[in-house]
Amino acid sequence: MKCLETEKLIGYAYRLLDEPAASLVRAHLGDCPRCREIVEQHGRLDAVLSEWKTEEPSPEFDARVRLAVEAQKSRSNAWAFRHWQWTRGLALASLAVLIIAGVVWFARGHLGVSDSSRVAEQKPRQAMGAQAPAQVANLHSLAVPGDGSLRPVQAVHGNKSAVGFTNEDKVTQALEDYDLAANFDLLSELPKGEPRVAN
Amino acid sequence: MGSYPNPIRPENFMSFPQLFRGQSVVYNVATMAIENDLDLMLRVRDGDTVSFEILLRRYRLPMVSYFRRMVRDQGLAEDLAQEVFLRVYKSRERYQPGAKFTTWLYRIATNLALNAIRDRKDEVSGTPGDDSDGGTEFERFIDPQPTVEQRLVQGDRERLIRQAVEALPENQRAAVLLHKYQEVDYRQIARILRVSESAVKSLLFRAYETLRIRLEPMLREGRI
Repeated sequence: MKCLETEKLIGYAYRLLDEPAASLVRAHLGDCPRCREIVEQHGRLDAVLSEWKTEEPSPEFDARVRLAVEAQKSRSNAWAFRHWQWTRGLALASLAVLIIAGVVWFARGHLGVSDSSRVAEQKPRQAMGAQAPAQVANLHSLAVPGDGSLRPVQAVHGNKSAVGFTNEDKVTQALEDYDLAANFDLLSELPKGEPRVAN
Repeated sequence: MGSYPNPIRPENFMSFPQLFRGQSVVYNVATMAIENDLDLMLRVRDGDTVSFEILLRRYRLPMVSYFRRMVRDQGLAEDLAQEVFLRVYKSRERYQPGAKFTTWLYRIATNLALNAIRDRKDEVSGTPGDDSDGGTEFERFIDPQPTVEQRLVQGDRERLIRQAVEALPENQRAAVLLHKYQEVDYRQIARILRVSESAVKSLLFRAYETLRIRLEPMLREGRI
């Protein structure tokens, strides 16, 4: 009779085989003393190995574990507290930035242009207004001769500009442009349909 | 087969004052009832320290004895067992009840044990001539028959068994210890060692056969 593989015998001895394989080995063992001896040896080995007894942990083992866990808990709590502080600080800073941004947005978007910025924008225009007489005088100097008598530009210079406008035309245009620029904001702020106040 | 005592024993539970500290009696009696590890671990995840105590009581002995058999050093064994419980506690919030609790526990334990063995191997290889290791003694044991007989006469059987097991390669040793002493099923051992089931069977076949050959004098003696 051919002996079974040692692996099968060991598997049988330590119950590592499934039931069909185990019954085959069981049937074989009835007829094969050599294989039976190997299985019995493993049975004895199992008993011998059981002589290696389990020893209790030292009495302070549980206390040590508890201490280690408590220390871990404290570390976790400390970390969580620091984390919470950072998170809170970050949240407060974000909130502050949001509030400031909201106020600015409200001031600019809801009220149009703020009073201060309007004043700031009007100041240069007022300065322009203060300079106006000089500019006008300059423009007038193109048309008004030194004696103050009004004559056509063509008469002073005796010719027309290259584009065909007289100096007087330029003066008129410049004055209109100036008025338009100086009064643009006031014009834009007037309610629609309200008659323009004559200068 | 298998000498490992049932870890769920009355003496493994905490004392009454300890157990009932700060908790309702009804709650603790319910917790003290035999519950599966998974439920206990889920409670630990939710911050229940009583459940952690029960798990500690339930597995302190298996863990310490497993490490003692793996690393041969009692002090180191307790340090490693402590580390296992600490890791369980640390990772409680990430715990997912996918596999058996013991699979997870023994996987942590086995990784720690194998790392400790490798670390110590490095240390030993750095100090030549140090033959305090059991392996050297074991080699003396397996060779000359009279020494074995002497030792048997001296009633040193347990030490011989220990040395025979300790002389196994790490993976075989872990497989045998889990199978024989921790009574872990070979399918579970496969998950613990992250190998296939057939690989575990192969590890166990080789380990048991090696042990049978090495301990043959004891088996022949019939002193069991």
